[in-house]
Amino acid sequence: MPAEDPIVPQDPADALAAVAALRRLADRLEDAAVEQAMRAGWSWPDVAEALGVTRQAVHKKHAPRLTAAGVALRRRR
Amino acid sequence: MSAIDHYINAIIVRGMAEARDDGSSAVEAHHLLMGIAAHEGTAAHRVLAAAGLGPEAVRRALDREFEHSLSTVGVSPAAYDLPRPTPDPKRSLKLGASARLALDRAFAAATGKRDLRPAHLLMGVLEAEVGTVPRALALAGLDRTELHTRARATLATETW
Repeated sequence: MPAEDPIVPQDPADALAAVAALRRLADRLEDAAVEQAMRAGWSWPDVAEALGVTRQAVHKKHAPRLTAAGVALRRRR
Repeated sequence: MSAIDHYINAIIVRGMAEARDDGSSAVEAHHLLMGIAAHEGTAAHRVLAAAGLGPEAVRRALDREFEHSLSTVGVSPAAYDLPRPTPDPKRSLKLGASARLALDRAFAAATGKRDLRPAHLLMGVLEAEVGTVPRALALAGLDRTELHTRARATLATETW
């Protein structure tokens, strides 16, 4: 089977719009993935390390949402 | 607060709800367009409705732009199948750069604050030549400059 041609947007407007859309997709994916991990019993430090961000950052961004959603959050490993 | 202050506040509040719902971290110009399309009783709403752009049609056009833009780099949002995240009802959202630009352009299009009306807000959103809104309108087969012209034409004949 021949290798697929790499996809390269020819129009700069397409390439720039793809960046904007990927950022939006990444934001959504982060919300969904963090929630999935916390529901599965992951700890904040592990989620933070897996995302490559600080524990404070991930906690500040997601804890209020998940607490409101009734996800049981682990305090410690 | 004047009527236009209430109006601007209402479309920003609606835009925030849309942004929160789609997981965005800021309110952008396309969220304001949703707000304008949802707020009945204005010339801006009538111009959009006449072009078939109710809130649902705007949302569909924006979804299509999102999918199309991702597809240009080989990404399919349908390939991502995690459960939908719980939105944060309290997450504070900034006014993003494109929304601020749209508001600046709306103010610039009016001759002073007393002249500012909903049609100016729509004109401000439609003035963007690049970005999500013009791309979504083009994909939906709509002529952005024609919509802008129609919005401006209402200023001479309609008071709100």
